[in-house]
Amino acid sequence: MSAALARLLRDPVSALGLGIVLFAVVVAFFAPYLAPYPEDAYESHLLQRLRPPSAEFPFGTDNLGRDILSRVILGTRNALVVAVSVVVAAMAIGIPVGLVAGWRDNWVSDVLMRLTDVFLAVPQLILALALGQLMRPGIETAMVALALTYWPFFARTVFAETRRLRGALFVDALAGIGARPTRILLLHVLPNALPAVLVRATIGMGFTILTAAILGFLGVGAAPPSPDWGLAVAEARQHLPEAWWFPTFPGLAILLLVLGFNLLGDGLRDAADPRLRRSRR
Amino acid sequence: MARFVLRRILLALPALLGLVVLTFVLSRVIPGDPAATLAGDAATPAQIAEIRAQYGLDRPIWEQAIVHLRQVLTGDFGRSVFSGRPVVEEIAFRLPATLELTFAALLISTVLGVGLGLVAALDHNGPVDHLVRLLSVGGLAIASFWLAIMLQLVFSMELDWLPLRGRIDPTLGAPPDITGFLLLDTLLAGRLDLFWSALRHLVMPAVTLALPGLATIARFTRSGVLEALQKDYVLYARAAGYGRFRLAAIYVLRNAITVTVTQIGLLFGALISGAVAVEAVFDWPGLGTYAVQAILSSDYKALLAVTLVVGVVYAVVNVMVDVAQALIDPRVAEEMS
Amino acid sequence: MRISLRSALLAAAMLALAPAADSQSPAHAQAQQRPLVWGDNLPASLDPHALFDVPSQFVLLNVYDGLYRYQGNPPELVPWLAERHTVSEDGLTWEFTLRAGAKFHDGSAITAEDVVYSFKRLLAMNRAPAAAFRPVLRPENITARDERTVRFVLSEPYAPFLAAIPLVAIVNPRAIQPHVRGDDWGAEWLAANDAGSGAYRINPETYRPRNQLDLERFADHFMGWSHNQRPIDSVRVRPVLETSTRVLALMRGEIDATDSYLPTDQVERVDRNPRTRVARDESMRVFILRMNNRRPPFDNLDARLCFAYAFNYQGFNEIILKGLVIRNAGPNPNNLWGNPPDLRPYNFDLNLARQHCDRARAAGAPLGREIEIHVQTELEQTVQAAQMFQADLRRVGVNLKIVPNTWAGITSSTTRAETTPDMWVHWVSTYFVDPENWIGQMYDSRFHGTWKASSWYRNERVDDLLTRARTSLDRAERERLYQEATRIVVAESPDIWVYNTVNLRGLSRRLQGYRFSPVGSGGELRSMWLEN
Repeated sequence: MSAALARLLRDPVSALGLGIVLFAVVVAFFAPYLAPYPEDAYESHLLQRLRPPSAEFPFGTDNLGRDILSRVILGTRNALVVAVSVVVAAMAIGIPVGLVAGWRDNWVSDVLMRLTDVFLAVPQLILALALGQLMRPGIETAMVALALTYWPFFARTVFAETRRLRGALFVDALAGIGARPTRILLLHVLPNALPAVLVRATIGMGFTILTAAILGFLGVGAAPPSPDWGLAVAEARQHLPEAWWFPTFPGLAILLLVLGFNLLGDGLRDAADPRLRRSRR
Repeated sequence: MARFVLRRILLALPALLGLVVLTFVLSRVIPGDPAATLAGDAATPAQIAEIRAQYGLDRPIWEQAIVHLRQVLTGDFGRSVFSGRPVVEEIAFRLPATLELTFAALLISTVLGVGLGLVAALDHNGPVDHLVRLLSVGGLAIASFWLAIMLQLVFSMELDWLPLRGRIDPTLGAPPDITGFLLLDTLLAGRLDLFWSALRHLVMPAVTLALPGLATIARFTRSGVLEALQKDYVLYARAAGYGRFRLAAIYVLRNAITVTVTQIGLLFGALISGAVAVEAVFDWPGLGTYAVQAILSSDYKALLAVTLVVGVVYAVVNVMVDVAQALIDPRVAEEMS
Repeated sequence: MRISLRSALLAAAMLALAPAADSQSPAHAQAQQRPLVWGDNLPASLDPHALFDVPSQFVLLNVYDGLYRYQGNPPELVPWLAERHTVSEDGLTWEFTLRAGAKFHDGSAITAEDVVYSFKRLLAMNRAPAAAFRPVLRPENITARDERTVRFVLSEPYAPFLAAIPLVAIVNPRAIQPHVRGDDWGAEWLAANDAGSGAYRINPETYRPRNQLDLERFADHFMGWSHNQRPIDSVRVRPVLETSTRVLALMRGEIDATDSYLPTDQVERVDRNPRTRVARDESMRVFILRMNNRRPPFDNLDARLCFAYAFNYQGFNEIILKGLVIRNAGPNPNNLWGNPPDLRPYNFDLNLARQHCDRARAAGAPLGREIEIHVQTELEQTVQAAQMFQADLRRVGVNLKIVPNTWAGITSSTTRAETTPDMWVHWVSTYFVDPENWIGQMYDSRFHGTWKASSWYRNERVDDLLTRARTSLDRAERERLYQEATRIVVAESPDIWVYNTVNLRGLSRRLQGYRFSPVGSGGELRSMWLEN
């Protein structure tokens, strides 16, 4: 594992990714202390609307006179919380489904994989849009919708790994000495599938941040006055082209964080298991 | 081969059937009561109940489900609750717009993606390679709606090079309607002015939408070419005096086709999703804007149909991709059966 | 800045080139007039009896005609397809005499039977515009006395009857009948076709729902065209969905008109642009923050007063909306009759708000709970008002939560008090010009269950006053009744009334003859022409 980490850090591009993600985590953690005007999460200052970037407001102010830099900093926490919760929830559904379906060939396995297919039969965003509108719109709803549409990817990944491993010698040996399937799956198959899951999860984080931003932009994600980045871009549209700074900085924040996760995911894929580097399929 | 195709189609059916059920369940819990909106401003609760009965919204849910399933299987998606028109007809107007946009994006991502991937591979671990790698990861990290707005800001509002929105200049008159694909229709009608207008309108939305696909294809082309260049017979050919570029050009074509075909299935989903946001920004009259409108007005019949149509298109594309893959590489067919 | 400079140059260049282009082909000058491109929203259906919202008024006014029509600002009811009407002493029997010689688009004459058919179709379809008539009008009581006389017998006196008459489009039964399917009254067909007599006709071939509608001038319109030397022959309606895009499209010359609710932040820019301008017209459209009076804490008068004093009217109207609205003290728009002349608006006073909130808390009102305010996500102003209100309420210790929602989502939840949100934000536009459209339908408890009455306010005295005002035909008496009702309602503060709208429509400068009326928001094309 440490060898893998070393390999990861030796690659400048992946190290950059790790750096961005760590930076974001630190910013998110200390957000209320780092933001110059932390009360701008909800406060409005009508007399300083739409000011261009200046020393006082490095990223300018928005349509309610709030400091955009503060809101971008405060929004980091939202983005990370959404990403982590969605990915963890999707893993909680997808991994068991993948393990169970991959272990045996029976009707349970068939039903589970068909169900996975149903969810994969529509592009994620369309399904999330419909689901997001199902319950009342809001960030919680968007998170549930994203988790409900992302788990099939984990199910697929774990399913493939389980299928590959169940024929392996050591699994046969374990079954031979009478180990229970649950034990084999949890203690032996799952750890071996972990690198693939980890790569999927890292990329999933970036992907979730992007999709959540689209939902926020379309009005079925985060609700005002949340400093959500996607929402900020949506609110900014009415003030273009004058207030160019208004959509620019929240958008750059999305770009940077997603870039970090993607670079890291890429590096992880190469470092943790060079076999996965096999690019086709 | 025919058996493989048939098998592949049969495999897609249960998923689509499941989708019909899933969307129905969704539509029944969607908030917003179309009956109340239809009844209008001063309607009394009694009038609303009357309208609900008229549209069958008051029947037991299982009964509605059966009616719905029967309708869908006969290709009847019902009428839009709001416009009173068959949903199929409204979608038929809009599907070509989305497909035109998606195909254009696919074309751009393939051509540019293969080109960039090739250049990167030839400069393995060099500065160009790193740049392309960063670009290709960045392409997947950019929020499409944000990029769309930034492009509008620069190329339309600031530089005034490209039109801001829409599919065609309305003052040129209504475009001919033959296939619904404007680029094709305007050419068929011999209207070069309209063709040029449609093309200019297509540029920004298509480029925005193409970026994630471009990034993916560039990456896979790069690793594909690198892999090919390591192969024994290539090394042999190189020893025999063939230049690196010439070799790459020979192998890249076959490789590019395989890579693109393999990725299209996956990319297509991303493209359709991306289209929703991109259409919203560029005011593109496609399925994406239709879906957003349907959500805003609680037009559940329309939303249901959009989800299903997208599901069907997606399934068809994936079947075609698998078949194409099998044609290119017969081992795939064996593996799958 | 650079943009407007470039646009100026561009406009100048166009001006310089335009005569040159014309002189090349003088014969085609008339035929080659660039059509008008109208960028406002299209209704979901073109059937004038199926929907009634602001976009559908555009179709109603241009493709169809009614017996009477509102013109001008303040709106005046003028005889249209009817040349006059009479009403019986008891206010129950109304007779309208049709103008002679009016024709539908297919050339057939408009008869009394056609008017009867139109009203029966409206009542039978029972969609939005029928709501104003259903309680007082039965289909069998609409009859044609002769070729040109229609008689309506109401089941109870209803003063706003005449005010609501312009809502009803007269349709051509001969055009519809071949397309009737079952009992749909031809609704599916008419949703995309034309059965009218209006100044413009629809081209059904190029129609794309909510996206593209082409209109051609109807030269034989019964009102004639003598009022307009150069009427516009062809109009292309191309809705631009998103507000900011719409403004930019106007400034770039891609469209000639936006909707009539231009964001106030854009007004200055549109005015500065040499090829565009903003038409400002005081309308009748009141912006309201609703409170659910059935649900604690809003069942407590002090709690409601606390909220009324905590809204920063001046900040919202003058700073955020840049003074492009007019403060409105009560539910009726300022510029309508029926308002007490001495009505005083609430003002922003956080100290007063705090006192009322403390009193409400002492009386046990649950002001500590999170209070939800539903906004219409696609309408930026509702979101801004809620965000500003949230920040100010925080100062008096009230926690407001903003819930994104849609018009359809909110209005469907207002059918029952239990499902109606704590608060929500919306406008009440002009459907017909009578206090009944505002205070009458908003605060008479008989309308509970409709979105207009969604504050669930109940006061027997007010109910009585409004009922009497609705059934009296004496305008002076009605005026007195509405004034009294307004006084009581405003004192009880069931909702927060913020402003009366000034309609702001972005127009290209080549568009002339734009005439505003609160009904239809200035979308009537008959009077317009294009300057080249």
